[in-house]
Amino acid sequence: MLCTTIREIVTGAAERFGDGDAIRWKIGKDEIETRSYRQLREDSERFSAALDALGELGSHVALTGPTSYRWIVTYLGTVGCGSVAVPLDVSLPAQEMCELLDRADATVFVYDEQRADVAAMARERCPKLRYLISMQKEEPEDGAEAFDRLLDAQKPGFERVVDPDALCTIMFTSGTTGKSKGVMLTQRNLAENATCLDMRIPERTVLLSVLPIHHAYCLSMDILKGISLGSIICINDSLLRVAKNIKLFKPNVILMVPLMIETLAKKLEEAAMLPAAIVKAKVFGGQFHTIFSGGAYLNPAYIDLFEKYGITILQGYGMTECSPVISTNLSWCVRKESVGKLMPNCEAKTVDGELWVRGSSVMMGYYHMPEETEETLRDGWLATGDLGYVDEEGYVFLTGRKKNLIITKNGENVSPEELENKLGEQRLIREVLVRENEGVIEAEIFPDADYVKKKRITDVQAALQKIIDEYNQGAPAYKKIYRLKVRETEFEKTPSKKIKRY
Amino acid sequence: MFEKLKEIILKYVEVKEEAVTPEARFMEDLGFTSFDFMSMLGEIEDEFDVEIDEQEAANIRTVGEAVEYLEKLANG
Repeated sequence: MLCTTIREIVTGAAERFGDGDAIRWKIGKDEIETRSYRQLREDSERFSAALDALGELGSHVALTGPTSYRWIVTYLGTVGCGSVAVPLDVSLPAQEMCELLDRADATVFVYDEQRADVAAMARERCPKLRYLISMQKEEPEDGAEAFDRLLDAQKPGFERVVDPDALCTIMFTSGTTGKSKGVMLTQRNLAENATCLDMRIPERTVLLSVLPIHHAYCLSMDILKGISLGSIICINDSLLRVAKNIKLFKPNVILMVPLMIETLAKKLEEAAMLPAAIVKAKVFGGQFHTIFSGGAYLNPAYIDLFEKYGITILQGYGMTECSPVISTNLSWCVRKESVGKLMPNCEAKTVDGELWVRGSSVMMGYYHMPEETEETLRDGWLATGDLGYVDEEGYVFLTGRKKNLIITKNGENVSPEELENKLGEQRLIREVLVRENEGVIEAEIFPDADYVKKKRITDVQAALQKIIDEYNQGAPAYKKIYRLKVRETEFEKTPSKKIKRY
Repeated sequence: MFEKLKEIILKYVEVKEEAVTPEARFMEDLGFTSFDFMSMLGEIEDEFDVEIDEQEAANIRTVGEAVEYLEKLANG
């Protein structure tokens, strides 16, 4: 069912799934706490009413914390009454978080006590803030309101007509370069992204949410799409405990980034001697069947590996600016080399090699950044910055990032990702970055220490050079790698675990 | 503590036993990824019946530091 506002998703689910579990999370060791779809709707409405009582309807409400029921209620309650939610990365340094609070014009800040330090600093440095709300405090204290107290004082049933095309969420993108930008998304942007495609996921599917909730991918797919399908959304409390939580919550589906898939692949390979069904049951449980992958490039070899264990990996593609999903593979039509079929609410074209998309999920623009908005949105089209094309059947193929493009002296264009992905298939190479340096193409490599020891490689530099030489033999002159640098440490990453390029 | 930890480490990465020394760094020398490391800490929680703090764990670089941290936890 296509929804145009987020409130419609929540009320629809409450009507259909009522007392069925919506959210599950762990309290103490093996104890699980739950809230139903009815409670989720009522608590969200109470939060809306609390904003009204504070005189903050329509305000910008920033929120930060690890994934939690209160986080979800804050978000749904904020956007449910036409206010604007600003989800912030819980791992940001306090100073940076205060800057974003200020840049987003937030007047309310809802925080997890894990970040009491930010609340303390914000009190001094963010003059626009009128209310601080602690998710855990039982009583108002130190100028902060207590979340539960505010909700207890309100009745559910708060209603307000919400314009589908009004701003509802500002999400800051971390980006591999430059200052973070506040992506402005409307109700329709997010609601249609979550509901326009029938992925044939059965109602009441159990999903485990492991990604950071301030990311568009997690918020849209785990939470909004999850709610629209009446899923049982289980909260993973820490990346330390994914394996344990899989055993506890017994999910059918998990949304992941490629880094996680790689670690799990090792676990599967370790036990490769045992029958596939036993290994799968041990690592994931017999009920598990699907991994959605997004956020970065996934080596297609993993899709084959997991298939052996009866697990389907569906790779998708998107960006926050498109709320975020642009294309996805579907269980009944997987193309390994493609990032999937275009979403039904999205059309695409290629301009100078770059993929442009248009549709109901494309953002309004960047908050208070007219120049950057103009560069990215052109006549209603979103210039994705990705190099790629769509084939006749609607499958999207990506070849690299436009801004990373290397333009050689003779005018040839080389996409470093293409070379990186090719080299990255070698087991000896853990991480690789390809760039131009002093007029030639250079590869910087962080070798896989594990593999070096296993194969008893004594001269890593020479072994890597051999890989480069072999690659060069089959490559056209302008794509040849002329210089090799070996690193001793992992590359520095962005908060979303992508290698920082500059 | 060290011996027990070594046993768990060897389940995650394929290195020779001798390579697991107190000075060995998880990522650089033993070849852990950040998510491998997190997964292993999860297993250690069960094995040693302790609760590991994610933020504190992020500062651990070597096997020796991990032993020190776990001993501190075990002794309350």
